[in-house]
Amino acid sequence: MNISMTVNMVKRSFDVQPDEVLLDVLRCEGYLEVKGSCRTGDCGACTVLLDGRPVASCLTLAAKADGHAVTTVRGIGDQAHPHALQDAFVRNGAIQCGYCVPGAITSAKALLDENPDPTEEEVRLAMDSNYCRCSGYEQQVEAVLDAAAHLRKGDAK
Amino acid sequence: MGRITDYYHAVSLEDAFAKAKQLGSAAAYVGGGVELVLRRNPEVTTLIDLSRCGLDYVAAVGEGIEIGSQTTLTTISHSADIGHYAGGSLAWWAGHIAHNNLRDMITVGGAIGRNQPWNDVVPHLVALGAQVRLFDDAERIMPLAAYIEAKQSGVIIKNVLLPTDNAGSRGFLWRFTRTQQDISTLHFSALVRFEGNIITAANLVFAGRPGHAALYPRLSEVLIGKPLSHETFARLAEVAYDLVEVGTDFRATGEYRRELVRAAVVYLEEHMTGVAQ
Ligand SMILES: Cc1cc2nc3c(=O)[nH]c(=O)nc-3n(C[C@H](O)[C@H](O)[C@H](O)COP(=O)(O)OP(=O)(O)OC[C@H]3O[C@@H](n4cnc5c(N)ncnc54)[C@H](O)[C@@H]3O)c2cc1C
Ligand code: FES
Ligand code: FES
Repeated sequence: MNISMTVNMVKRSFDVQPDEVLLDVLRCEGYLEVKGSCRTGDCGACTVLLDGRPVASCLTLAAKADGHAVTTVRGIGDQAHPHALQDAFVRNGAIQCGYCVPGAITSAKALLDENPDPTEEEVRLAMDSNYCRCSGYEQQVEAVLDAAAHLRKGDAK
Repeated sequence: MGRITDYYHAVSLEDAFAKAKQLGSAAAYVGGGVELVLRRNPEVTTLIDLSRCGLDYVAAVGEGIEIGSQTTLTTISHSADIGHYAGGSLAWWAGHIAHNNLRDMITVGGAIGRNQPWNDVVPHLVALGAQVRLFDDAERIMPLAAYIEAKQSGVIIKNVLLPTDNAGSRGFLWRFTRTQQDISTLHFSALVRFEGNIITAANLVFAGRPGHAALYPRLSEVLIGKPLSHETFARLAEVAYDLVEVGTDFRATGEYRRELVRAAVVYLEEHMTGVAQ
C-alpha cells in the first residue's frame, strides 16, 4: 500500500506492507539515525516524533503514520546545525557509545517543546523509556536541563 | 499479526463495523497498535484503523466525562477535567504507567480491547465506576466491569464514561512492580467516598494476577458505614487477605501475592487517612 508523510519536513511517499512498522520503513529509506534494538517498546532507541509526540517506531504501524509528520533526530539538528540538546549532550559528556542518543534526544525534544523549564523529575519521567547502558543517566539528565537553560536564555536554537 | 494483507482506514463507525462484520475473526480494530504489533494473531488478516472516526477526545457531558476510545494515555494525563475527577488518580497514573514513548500510543480502547491480567488502565476505570459505550450498528452503554466479563468480538468500543456521581470521591491506585516501567505483579485500585469521617461508598478492584481485573463487593461491605480509621482498614486487610484470589503463576507465588494484598490495603489506608502505618 502507498502512504504519504512528511519526514523531517520533506514530503515523502512510501510503498509499505500493511503490517510493516515505521522503524523498518524509515531505516530502509535511509533514515539510519533511527535505531532499533529491543523491538518490544522497552528500550526507547527507536523513538521518533509523530506530529511532535514521542512514539516507539518499532511498534508503530507505518500505515498508521499515513498523512502525519515524522521527525527523526536528524530533523531536530545535524552536525552542521546542531540543536541545543545535541550541543548539551556533547558538553555534558552524555554520550558514550551513542546508540541510545537519537532516541534520548528525541524524547527530550518533545519534553522541551511542551515544557521549557522542566524539573529533574520531569526530565526523568519524559525519558523513562530511554535506556542507556553506558552513561548511568546522570549526564543525560544534566544535559537536558542544561539545554533547557540555554534555550530559555535564547542563546541556542 | 500473521499475514496482514489489508490495512483499512475506516471513515466512520458504521464503515468500520460493516467491514469487521464482513470479515469476522479475520479483522481487528487498531487503537495504538502496540499490542497488535507485539503479539501477532495469526487469524487476523485485516486491520481496521479507527483514527479517522472522531474518537480522540475528552469531553465533559451531562452524565460525566466522556473519553473517546482513540484517546491516548498522554491526552488523558493532560486533561484538566480528568485531573479534577476523583482526586485526579486516573490523570496522574495515565502519565506514569508504561513508557514515555508508549503513553502517546496506548489508547483507552486498546487497553480495554486487550485487557491483559496486568493492565493498569482497566482496573482503575472499573474502580472509578466507568461505563463503556459500544457500537455494533446501534449504540449501547454498560458498566465496564460487566463488559470485561462478557466481551463480544466485533463490537467497537466507542467511548468510556466516568460518571458524575463519583467525581467527588477519592480514587487510588497502587501497583507492585520491580521498576516503574515493569508490569504489575499485583494491582489494586479503589474508589472511596466519605461524608465527614464515615465511608459511604467503595469500589475495590484487584488485578495483576491470573485472570482479569475483579471487583470485590464483599470488601466494599467491610468499609461502608465505617469510620476512616486504622481499625477499619486493619479489618479490610484481614478480609482481603483471605478473599482475594491471587493464583500462583509466573513472576510470583500465591503466598507472595497474598502478602502484597495486605500491603496494598496499608497503602490505601495511608492515602485515605493521610497517616502512614
Ligand atoms: C513495553 C510495554 C510496557 C507496557 N506497560 C504497561 C503498563 O505499565 N501498564 C499498562 O496498563 N499497560 C502497559 N502496557 C500494555 C498496553 O497498555 C497494552 O499493550 C494496550 O493494549 C495497548 O493499547 P493500544 O491502543 O496500542 O492497543 P491495540 O494494539 O491497538 O489494540 C489492542 C486490542 O484491542 C482491540 N481494540 C483496539 N481499539 C478498539 C476499539 N475501539 N474497540 C474494540 N476493540 C479495540 C484491538 O483489536 C486489539 O485486539 C505496556 C506495553 C508495552 C509494549
Ligand atoms: S527498538 Fe523500539 S523501544 Fe526498543
Ligand atoms: S551512550 Fe551507550 S547506550 Fe547510551
